[in-house]
Amino acid sequence: MKKNTRFIPVLLVPLLLTGCGQVKKYREHLDDYVFTMKYHQNFNILQLTDIHWNINSSTYESERYMDKVLAEANKHIVDTQGAGAKIDLVELTGDMFMLANSYHVDSFIKYFEKKSEEYGFKYASIWGNHDRHGMYNPNWIGDRFAKAKNSLYFEPNDDIYGRSNFMINLTADGNKGSEVKWQIANLDSGASFSETALSPFRDYDYIRTEQVNWWKEEHILANATTTIDVPGLAYYHIPQEENQKLYDEVQKNPTSHKNKFFKLEGFADNGNEEYASNFLDEAKQNNLRGAFMGHAHNVDWTVTWDDLVVGLGVKTGIELYYAHIDTKSEDPAMKKGLADTGITENFDLIGASLVTITDEESNIEGKFDLEHLYLNERKGGDFVAWVKY
Amino acid sequence: MGEILMKKFFSKDSFVLSSFDKAQRRQSLLVSIVLIVLFIFSAFTFFNALYAFADFVGSIVSGSPDAAIRDITRSLPLILSCFMSIWGMLLFHALFRNVSDERRIKSMKKNAIALLAFAAVNFIAIIVMLIMGKFHSIVEGAPSPLYPLDSIIYSLIYVAIGVFALVYLKKLQEKIPYVVPSRGAVVSKARGLYCTFMSFWMLIALFSTASFFLGLFIVDFAHGYLLYCIGLMLIFFVNMLFIGVWEFYYNELKEENKKAFLLPLAIAGLVVAIIAIVLYLTGLTTGLDGPSNAGFGVLPVAFAASVNIATLIVAFTPIIVSVVAVIKGLLLRRKK
Repeated sequence: MKKNTRFIPVLLVPLLLTGCGQVKKYREHLDDYVFTMKYHQNFNILQLTDIHWNINSSTYESERYMDKVLAEANKHIVDTQGAGAKIDLVELTGDMFMLANSYHVDSFIKYFEKKSEEYGFKYASIWGNHDRHGMYNPNWIGDRFAKAKNSLYFEPNDDIYGRSNFMINLTADGNKGSEVKWQIANLDSGASFSETALSPFRDYDYIRTEQVNWWKEEHILANATTTIDVPGLAYYHIPQEENQKLYDEVQKNPTSHKNKFFKLEGFADNGNEEYASNFLDEAKQNNLRGAFMGHAHNVDWTVTWDDLVVGLGVKTGIELYYAHIDTKSEDPAMKKGLADTGITENFDLIGASLVTITDEESNIEGKFDLEHLYLNERKGGDFVAWVKY
Repeated sequence: MGEILMKKFFSKDSFVLSSFDKAQRRQSLLVSIVLIVLFIFSAFTFFNALYAFADFVGSIVSGSPDAAIRDITRSLPLILSCFMSIWGMLLFHALFRNVSDERRIKSMKKNAIALLAFAAVNFIAIIVMLIMGKFHSIVEGAPSPLYPLDSIIYSLIYVAIGVFALVYLKKLQEKIPYVVPSRGAVVSKARGLYCTFMSFWMLIALFSTASFFLGLFIVDFAHGYLLYCIGLMLIFFVNMLFIGVWEFYYNELKEENKKAFLLPLAIAGLVVAIIAIVLYLTGLTTGLDGPSNAGFGVLPVAFAASVNIATLIVAFTPIIVSVVAVIKGLLLRRKK
C-alpha cells in the first residue's frame, strides 16, 4: 500500500462507526412512521410496564407471572365482551430491561412472539430510560424488535428526538390509505441528561418539541382520511410535568378532577419548568383522549383532565421495586387508593392495565374504558382484582 | 539528556529480562500470558458483578430491600465467580512477588486456599438453592442459557487452577528453579495506604478493561454523540494502558531504572489522561444526554443511581492514577 493511501482505512473507521447513514427528515417520510391494524368495537389494549428484566432476574419466574397476567386478561375480556374477543395489542411502555444482556433480550422477544401467536395480539415496544442501560448496543435491541414477526416497532435515523417514535393507526380495513378511526402514538420519552457537563445530578428526560410537532403532523395526516377529528391515545414511559400539576390541583381541591388509584411516590419526572414538555397541552387540543405511561412503580394514579385521561400503568412483575399495599397503613395516599379501589386485603401493586376502545365502528366518539388488574402470585391461590376507572 | 533517557526507555538492557537466559525468558512470558488471561476473566466477571450490585443498590434506594436481597441471592454465583477470578489472578500474581521462595509460596498458598473456598461456597450455594427451589433447574437460564450450571463448571475450572497451584507449590519446595522478575516487597511504611490504592486501581483497571472491550459493542457510536463516545472509550483505554505499563513495563525494569523512569512516565501518563478527560468533557458538553443515550451500558452504577457524579468519577480515574504516580515519582527523586 502506498504511504499516502495507507491511512484511508483508518479514516473510514469513524464513518463506519457512525453508520454513514443520512439523517432522514421526518416531514418527508410521515407515512413510514405508521403501522396499521383493523379497528373494531372493543379494541383491547393491554399495557405492561416496567418489567425490568435484569442480570439478577429469574426470567423463568417472570415468564410464569406474565403467563398468568395474559391468561387473566384474556379470560376477563372473554367474560365481559363475549367469545371471540381478545387482547388486540400489548403496549410495553418501557423499562422492559435494566442491566440486562443479549440473552435477556432474545428470551423476552421469543416469549412475546410465542404469546402473540397463542393469543393473537401484536405488541409495541417503547423505550424507557433503563432500556438503554444494558450489555448490548441500543441499535441492536431496536433491530431485534423491528425484525420480530409480531412486533410493531420503527427506528429510523431521523431528525426527531428519541430512538423510536411511531404511530399505530386503527383503520377501517386495517390497511394504510383507508379511513383512520383511532390513532395510537408510541413516543420515546428519552432517558436522562445533565444540565451541565459537571452537574452532580441527572434530570429525567422529557418529550421534546419536535416530537410534539411530528405527532401533530401525523394527526393531521390521519384526519385527512376521514371527516372526524381522529381520537388518539399516547403511550410513553416517563410522566411529564402535567401529572404533578394535576395531582397538586387535586390535593388543593379533591373534586377538581376525577381521579383514582394509588400515588405512593413522586412521578419521577424532572420537575424542572425549563425542561417541561408541551406534549399534553398540545395533544389535548388535538383530540388525544388518553395518555398512559410507566416509570414510577409505586404509582398507578389516573386523572381526567377535561376530556383527557392521564395515568400510569400498573407495574408488571416483581423486578426492582414495587409497593406493598397494607390495609392497616396510616399513609393517607395508601388509604385513599384502597378506598378508591374497594380492595380490603393486603396486596402488591403489580399487574397490568387494560384500555378497551368502545366506539362503534360507524360512530367514533373517542370513548374507552380503563381497568387496572392487580395480580399477585400466592401459594394458596393467586390474588386477582380488576378495578374499573 | 532527554535523548539518552528515550534510548534507555526502549533499550533491552533496561529490563530485568536482559539478564535472563532463554528458558527463563520463556517462563516469564508464560506467567505474563497466564496473568493477562486471568485478568481478562476477572474483568468480565467483575463487570457482571457490578451489574448485579447496581441492581441491588437500585432496589435498596427504591425502598425494596426484600427485592434487593432476593435478587442478589440469586446472583450469588455471579459474585462468587468474580471473587474466584480475582483470587485466581492474585494467585499467579504472587509469582511476581519473588523476593524469596518462602514469601512467594506463602502468598500463593494463601490465595489458592481462598480461591478453593470461594469455589466450594459457590458449589454449595447453588446446590442449596436448587434444593430450596430458588433455582428451578440446574439450567434455569438467565443471565446465560446454562445458568447456574455454567457457574458450577467455572468453579471446577478454578478448583483445578487452585489444586494445580498447590501441587506446583509442593514441587517448588522440592527445588524446581523459578525465576520470573521480582516486584520487590511492599514497604511496611504506609502499607495500608499502598494496598488500598492498589486495590482501588485494580478494580478501576478491571472495570475499564471490561468496559473498553464490551464498549466496542455496547456503546452506540451512531446516535450522534461520537465525540463523547470516543472520549469515553479513550478513558477506558487509558486506564487499561496504565495498568499494562505498570505491570509489563515499569515492574520489569531494573531497580536503578525504576527511579529514573517513573517521573517521566507519570508525567506522560498525566498528559494522556488530561487529553482523554478534555475530550470526554468536550463530548459531554456537546450532548448532555450523551451518556444515557449512547454509553450507559458501560456505566452501570451511574445510571442506577441517576447521578452524574458517578460518570464524572469514571472520567477522572486516569487523572487520579497518574497524579499518584507523579507524586511517587517526585518522592523517589527526592530520595536520590
